[in-house]
Amino acid sequence: MYSLGIDIGSTTSKGALLADGNRIVATALRNAGIGTDGPEEVVKELLRASDLDEGQIGVTVSTGYGRTLYPEAHYRVSELTCHALGAHFIFPGIRTLIDIGGQDAKVISLDGAGRMSNFQMNDKCAAGTGRFLDVMAGILQLRAGDLAGEAALAESICPISSTCTVFAESEVISHLAQGVNRKDLVAGICESVATRTGSLAKRVGVTPPLAMSGGVALNEGVRGALSRYLGVEILFSPLAQFFGGLGAALYGYQTYNKEN
Amino acid sequence: MAEEVRKKPAPPDPDSARFKLGAIIEKHYREVHEAKARGEKIGWCASNFPQEIFQTLGVKVCYPENQAAAIAARGAGQKLCEIAESEGYSNDICAYARISLAYTRVKDVPEQNMPLPDFLLCCNNICNCMIKWYENLAEDLDIPLILIDIPFNTGYEPGPDQIAYVKAQFMDAISQLERITGTTWSEDRFREVMDISNRSSRAWLEATGYTRYKPSPLSGFDLLNHMAVAVCARGTVEAAEAFETLVKEYKEAVEKGTSTFRAEEKHRFMFEGIACWPHLRTTFSALKNRGMNMVATIYADAFGQVYQDLDGLIRGYCSVPNAVNLEKARDTRIGIVRKTGAEGLLVHTNRSCKLWSGFMQEMSKQIGESCDIPVVSFDGDQADPRNFSAAQYETRVQGLAELMEARKKGE
Amino acid sequence: MTNQEILSVLAEAAGNPKKQLHHHLSQGRKVVALAPVYAPEELIHSQGFVPMGAWGADLELQEAKAFFPAFICSITQSIVELGIRGAYEGIHAMVIPTLCDSLKVLTQNWKHAVPSIPLIVTSYPQNRGIPAAQDYLKSGFVQISEKLEELGGTPFSEEALAKSIDLYNRHRKAMRELSSTLGKHPRISARQRSDIFKSAHFMRKEDHLELVEGLIEGLSDQESGGLPHRKEDGPASRTRVITTGILADHPRLLNILDETGFHLVADDLAHESRQYRTDAPTGGAPLDALVERFCKQQHCSVLFDPGKGRASYLADLATRENARGVIYFMTKFCDPEEFDLVPVKRNCDAAGIPFLSIEVDRQMSNFSQARTALETFKEMIEQRRM
Repeated sequence: MYSLGIDIGSTTSKGALLADGNRIVATALRNAGIGTDGPEEVVKELLRASDLDEGQIGVTVSTGYGRTLYPEAHYRVSELTCHALGAHFIFPGIRTLIDIGGQDAKVISLDGAGRMSNFQMNDKCAAGTGRFLDVMAGILQLRAGDLAGEAALAESICPISSTCTVFAESEVISHLAQGVNRKDLVAGICESVATRTGSLAKRVGVTPPLAMSGGVALNEGVRGALSRYLGVEILFSPLAQFFGGLGAALYGYQTYNKEN
Repeated sequence: MAEEVRKKPAPPDPDSARFKLGAIIEKHYREVHEAKARGEKIGWCASNFPQEIFQTLGVKVCYPENQAAAIAARGAGQKLCEIAESEGYSNDICAYARISLAYTRVKDVPEQNMPLPDFLLCCNNICNCMIKWYENLAEDLDIPLILIDIPFNTGYEPGPDQIAYVKAQFMDAISQLERITGTTWSEDRFREVMDISNRSSRAWLEATGYTRYKPSPLSGFDLLNHMAVAVCARGTVEAAEAFETLVKEYKEAVEKGTSTFRAEEKHRFMFEGIACWPHLRTTFSALKNRGMNMVATIYADAFGQVYQDLDGLIRGYCSVPNAVNLEKARDTRIGIVRKTGAEGLLVHTNRSCKLWSGFMQEMSKQIGESCDIPVVSFDGDQADPRNFSAAQYETRVQGLAELMEARKKGE
Repeated sequence: MTNQEILSVLAEAAGNPKKQLHHHLSQGRKVVALAPVYAPEELIHSQGFVPMGAWGADLELQEAKAFFPAFICSITQSIVELGIRGAYEGIHAMVIPTLCDSLKVLTQNWKHAVPSIPLIVTSYPQNRGIPAAQDYLKSGFVQISEKLEELGGTPFSEEALAKSIDLYNRHRKAMRELSSTLGKHPRISARQRSDIFKSAHFMRKEDHLELVEGLIEGLSDQESGGLPHRKEDGPASRTRVITTGILADHPRLLNILDETGFHLVADDLAHESRQYRTDAPTGGAPLDALVERFCKQQHCSVLFDPGKGRASYLADLATRENARGVIYFMTKFCDPEEFDLVPVKRNCDAAGIPFLSIEVDRQMSNFSQARTALETFKEMIEQRRM
């Protein structure tokens, strides 16, 4: 039986297709989130890649901030539950998961069986989120995707102390004006996000093994800084962005079997 | 980290006020550590808790607010704040409280250590945040908490009912502290402590009063350092003597025409709020570079309480800066501006201090209008370095300098 | 009246404080507004005023910005905003206690922002256990009483105060009973529950009491309380939780609680049940009773609580009400609540009670994070059951 998970975020849509709840058949991503045709595009892509048609999909589950905006879904589940399930699927035995998304950051504790036992989300301040990285990248005339590469080339880390996005902006600009190397600044920006998220993680309690999910997980600069800050290794999968979609597909498979 | 490391200083003169004041702080921390080591019960104490109580009983205490300021000035404020935040404390909470609560977790911060307390002395005359902070300390450390509750004075002066309520708590605190520490109250010693405290306060007020001279014989930022002594040792003879030495030095400086402000005093201004300890150098340099000397601050009066008797003492603690209403707070400041000839007002909108900053916009506007001086504010924090923008500060200070300059040219 | 009719009268009052105010004024009644958290309501009532709660409103701050920096609690800021915009026109006085720093600030800004409406400050003692605190509070109440008379109220009368205390005690008892009745009725939504509590701040207690007593009786009649099933899902699948914090009255937030399938079985909100936990003693001098009532109040973030009794109170409340979780509505920039959050959470964790904190304020426009957090919380609790 095929189950499909679609994770509709603020800026991206991600999907995963599972066979029998244990085999990944396809994944797809579009840089278009809530309010776009991103979700439909992702589903089309999944079907194309797996050579299936809609009728062959047993169950569809939506997650992410746009989960309510996808009427075709049989179930709607929060992205935290899905990220936990997806992470446990990729890394069995995982106990802590950190997800830095576009709008917010989340830290999830899992018990040994992969069930979510506690979670924490960031407060109103955008300092520890993907949005902070986007804003800072904009000031430096970079794309968010370029940040990791820049940070990797840094010779030293120029610390960004302001947590307020507006203050951090002026801090970055004044460092630039003083001739600080852009690469060092990027490293400082990554570290700033890592520190904020790390502090959130400590509130929940950090039990290894720990993994990261979401788009920011791909950023080695943030990942490395977070690992240093927390003093633990961070597991990483190239599928990190698909944990939500995978978890949704998995949830669909499990729930469908329980109910039928 | 802070100012002191700029240049290699000349060997200190042991007869100088600066040396004596430094030695008092050292001795203060040393004595608390020694008392703790001897097995005496020691306390942590709010900066405006009536110090006459434990001075009379001969009980040693130290001050989390002073500790937090020292930790922040030496660059560890952010580290400690982050520890508190990872415990679940919001970054909106007073940074002194966050640093202090984090300290009870890590128990060792080389920037400024203090022995852990056996009891807590809390007073909310500076803010109610103190109550919550000390409640959490008491819970974390599982130790007794003595509170002297001093309600915010919405009238101009504290009424007799408030004096009676606070006096009863003063007496009650004595009995509680006697029980906890096994010490005994002595009326004779109390009178002696009151005399010494008055002597220190008079000397402190006289010394700080020297900023009225033009140019001022002192850089106003000096007071931020000396204030620690006024907080923690006001009831000791050493403090009285050190402040008297300070008076002597300022008097000589006026005669010789010298000053600890190492720049030409082009502008004289009032600074409102607690210092930005993590950015002391940045905040001071921007002023010094423009020849702006801080000659007026509410601090000068805050720790100089002169009283005749117990009622006077109580009235003093009921009238500390953050315990009084807008009109009284405004008039006191207007008096200081007039006395010192301050030509502008620089307001620190302090993210950590809701009470101090909460009605400051209206009050500083009224002060500016009444004294006909420009008012400029900037965003900052007393101990969390993350809530300050050097760029914003520079611009605002520049703006104030230009406003003061323009007024001088217009005259 | 049917339960449904009572609920709609209360909802109407909760949603239209201005209409309530104008109704009182049109009846020739004098109105005094009460800022959070506590006020000597019985005294004010006994001198011929209708006390109306003023806990601010969800609105954009504009005028208030001239007085407050951004980091002061938005409840107090919105009270000044409403004052400047004229929402309180017609009232005789604004009563504000100095129970926290933001409220101290509010007293001072109010004087200068809304000079047309007199300010009455209530200075409560924090060291409530000592006799001197009672003397101090009593003297404060006497001063308030004198001020009320100056403002056109009837002179202080022991007899009138005793009557008011009796009315308020009956109302408090009814509110406590109602809360436990609602714990048995998942068909009453979070939104409806909030309306019942919120309307108590705007209606005359005499009128509110009658409706609440009617509702209690109506709900005891039959299991369904004569109410239709909620359309979202069956009552059996609702998750029993208790709420705490200063206030949680935003309709969208409440709708999310309903849509995600929670049943609020009890609360520890300052705006709701904290108002009704403690009765005034009867028999002695009525003013002393009022003093004693305040001094006996406990487990509140703005009242000195050296043993953090609130933390154990909440865990006990959750256990007693058979709640599966605690939701802490954290009013942004509220010092007292931010400090309490840590020991309260720690205590819930230790007791194995699922705990969620959600940041709220008076300018909430985006609820997607709150929705996600609440849905996840529900999923987490349900997973535990599996």
